[in-house]
Amino acid sequence: MGALVATGAVCVFFPFVWMALTALKTVPEIQRVPLQITPDRWTNLDNFREVFQRQPFARFLLNSALVASASALSSVIVSSLAGYGFAKFRFPGHGLFFFAIVGILMVPFQSVVVPLYLWVNRLSLLDTYLGILAPDLVSVFGVFLMRQSIEVVPTDYVDAARIDGAGEFGIFWRIILPSVKPALATLVIVKFMWTWNELFWPLVVVNSPTMKVVTLGLLSFTNMYFIEYNLVTAAAVVSILPILIVFLVCQKWVVRGVVMSGLKG
Amino acid sequence: MHDVWRLVAPRSYLDRQRRAGLLFVLPALVYFALVFLVPLVESVIGSFYRTVPGGESRFVGLRLYEKVLTDSTFWQAVSNTVSLLFMSVPATVALALMVALGLHRLRSIRARSVWTAMYFLPFAVSLVAAALIWQWMYDPLYGFLNHLLNRVGMPPLHWLQSLEMVRPSLAIINVWVRLGFDTIIFLAALQAIPTEYYEAASIDGASRWQALRRLTLPLLNPQIVMVTILELIFNFKVFDTVYATTQGGPAGASQTVIMLLYDTAFKYFRLGDASVMAVFVFVSLLLVTLAQWRLFRRQVEY
Amino acid sequence: MRSRIVCAVAAGVAVLTLALAPPTAWTQPKKLVFWTHWEQNPEFNKFYETRGKDFAQKSGYEVQVVTVPYQGYEAKYLAALVGKSGAPDIFMGMTHHWCGQYDFCDRMPADLAKTWDDSLPKYMVSVGKWKGVRYGTPIEHGNFQQMYINTETFKKAGLDPDKPPKTLDDWLAAMKKLTVLDAKGEPTQVGFALRHKGHPVGIADKFLPFAHAYGARMLSPNLERATGFANSPEMVAALQFYADLVQKHKVASLVFPTPEDAFGQKRAATIFRESWYFGWVKKNAPEVSFKVYALPCAKACPGAGNLFPWTNMVYKNSASKPAAWDFIRFISNAKDDLDQHQAQGILPVWTANLDSAYVKARPDYQSTQEMLKQPVPPEYYHPKSNELATAFGEAVVAALYGKGQPKPLLDEAAAKMDRALKD
Repeated sequence: MGALVATGAVCVFFPFVWMALTALKTVPEIQRVPLQITPDRWTNLDNFREVFQRQPFARFLLNSALVASASALSSVIVSSLAGYGFAKFRFPGHGLFFFAIVGILMVPFQSVVVPLYLWVNRLSLLDTYLGILAPDLVSVFGVFLMRQSIEVVPTDYVDAARIDGAGEFGIFWRIILPSVKPALATLVIVKFMWTWNELFWPLVVVNSPTMKVVTLGLLSFTNMYFIEYNLVTAAAVVSILPILIVFLVCQKWVVRGVVMSGLKG
Repeated sequence: MHDVWRLVAPRSYLDRQRRAGLLFVLPALVYFALVFLVPLVESVIGSFYRTVPGGESRFVGLRLYEKVLTDSTFWQAVSNTVSLLFMSVPATVALALMVALGLHRLRSIRARSVWTAMYFLPFAVSLVAAALIWQWMYDPLYGFLNHLLNRVGMPPLHWLQSLEMVRPSLAIINVWVRLGFDTIIFLAALQAIPTEYYEAASIDGASRWQALRRLTLPLLNPQIVMVTILELIFNFKVFDTVYATTQGGPAGASQTVIMLLYDTAFKYFRLGDASVMAVFVFVSLLLVTLAQWRLFRRQVEY
Repeated sequence: MRSRIVCAVAAGVAVLTLALAPPTAWTQPKKLVFWTHWEQNPEFNKFYETRGKDFAQKSGYEVQVVTVPYQGYEAKYLAALVGKSGAPDIFMGMTHHWCGQYDFCDRMPADLAKTWDDSLPKYMVSVGKWKGVRYGTPIEHGNFQQMYINTETFKKAGLDPDKPPKTLDDWLAAMKKLTVLDAKGEPTQVGFALRHKGHPVGIADKFLPFAHAYGARMLSPNLERATGFANSPEMVAALQFYADLVQKHKVASLVFPTPEDAFGQKRAATIFRESWYFGWVKKNAPEVSFKVYALPCAKACPGAGNLFPWTNMVYKNSASKPAAWDFIRFISNAKDDLDQHQAQGILPVWTANLDSAYVKARPDYQSTQEMLKQPVPPEYYHPKSNELATAFGEAVVAALYGKGQPKPLLDEAAAKMDRALKD
């Protein structure tokens, strides 16, 4: 059984390896028949150099990082506020509102794009970071996750603090938030990753090359006539690497987040 | 009505509580209303209008619904989407279960976390990157998969370029991306099952198989339902993978409803028709989710 | 501990607010924003910026070129042009879409329109016009396909690369000689590099020369009907010929991913491509020795036709409209036309330049002249051309893949096209 699982894991991991190997090859090497597995020169960084030369990829990485960080931060703040409200309070319409928020998952983004774009345009936020962030400032998953996590915090603590005369926000800040630090960490990381990987909205809202994000940069290496696989794989490696690093370092949090949203079902 | 008044001018401790709760969720609610609800309503309203932005826009009632719902291209797209769902969703859920069961049995925690990380890695990358990585694997001339087939003496397959194989090929990409996520959910649920249950079962003489069928799976039922719903929604809505690779080809064989929606809105500039499709997607997903929830959710208590 | 967290959060918020604040209107030089999706022609696009600097000295307006990825450019254009700010001042696209279906274009000033009407080759005069009014300037000549042949493969197959096939029948015979199969019956080299992948519009575009050679046309002359034209007996015969290339004679293959790559890798002996292609080959496949010829004819000659008449247009609601037209006026002369196209290695547009030394030195000079002398083939500049060509292209692809017979496929496509036209 263990062997099967291990084999499966290796198979799942293999495409990444193949992508990385291809990024180290030159075009003739890629087209060699029969297929050559390893690159001729393991230190062949030409493709990477070309990727950065053809497009301002470093700027793309910076943009993605800024946008993803902002989105994660804002998400955490608003989602934890909302999660607390849904978890510990019973106000009229709370069930309906929660259901409505979850319902958003079912809306295809393509159908709200044009109206949303018009809004962003009216506020003169096109081609700005805030414009790119517009649909990513709060996440449904975040609200969900925070609600799950905060529900578990014993209400006695909250009641005791109220009796002691603490204000509602004070309770939130001093009691609730510290109790759900793992969930907060999870949300920050997951939201960061999610926003980093977004394609369609940035495609519509970004005009200038200096405001592009990494996914757009990756797409620019495929065009209608031919795909340069040596460059595409190199660009893919560059765009994936930061996320992979974040993921591997913070794996514990991500897994915990997935688990938490799963356990309650 | 009284309730709302009491929120604005709270008279009791309980009222103050309720108001506080509402205030806490207000930022999120306002945000979602502005960014999703309002555009959605605008889109729905748009489905009743023949819209030509920059040109005229006329109210046409249900005519666009009639037009879209009697169009064979639309139903072909629906059929493609459904077939893609049938290929991806059961495979993802079943594989995730199997992998989770396998991981659960591992003794070494370190091995388990290493393998789990490897399964989860595809989830961390963008769909565009995933699609391009697989498109490269699928390349008919230089791709790795055809190289393998060649090695075992089989003829090369056309993967993303063949009418029959394009949907399975796309399904494989989706499964690859989602497998780790679902595995982790199942794994956590498995780890939450008290071992006493299994001990009791083995005392009763149940084999491993029977324990799996009668004990584990029913206990995992809430997660199975939830994962299936999530996968249904994801696979229905997926855009980036198809867009980055086949764009609906060849010959429309991989044109999902979402791809058709995109083309209808942004290539053919028929925003009214696209809004109809958007409404269709929303309603379908809603119905399917509700049906799943109702039919398969059984509380299992011991 | 807590205060440190508060500090960190506050600092983070401060940094992010600074980074995210929309740029205040510092005194920036005025600029005209130019959108293009011709991502494969960067030198061509850069020319606007270079000349824009000269223009700035006169007018105070610089030109900023934004290259939108071709894939999905319609979405971006649509979203930008619908809203009023954030839209480009000048943009590149097809006149009949943006000025015909929509009303996004500004009418060209009469004097400038006359200049262009007088300076373009006859077959291009209608490009950039909608209902007789000029809105845009064409930017691509030689936007029609020509036949590229790999001289090496021709010689190896015993064919004379200086005597190319002139009729489709001769051409097919040559293709058969140029196709080499390996031991398993799989093609290692095919006669013809066929486009079978990608959006159906592109596939329709590549099929049209064959259709026109058979005397067929996709729509009625007034562009109002498809049935009887898209599924005419001539069209069915043309599609049958095209599908047979793959299915029956096997001189074209569905295995090779893109025809450009196939030709570049010497796996295909001929390809039908537009004039920009030889620049690509020179750059990416310099070992391929090739020649360019006019397309073979059958009942009629394919002539100089195309589905993608790219033009530059000015946005109707642009705040800098007069400056935009001034810039276009600034570069509307034979020298700029020649310089810009030469920089990228594509054919200039002005008639005056068609006999320049640059053009005469191109490998496609003779063939271009020859094809221009042929009668102009049907044009399909209709606002719904995307949708129509897609339905048509889907029939072509289905036939190529053997998913049905040409006649029923074309019947269905014609019905779909008529439905779209009636809308």
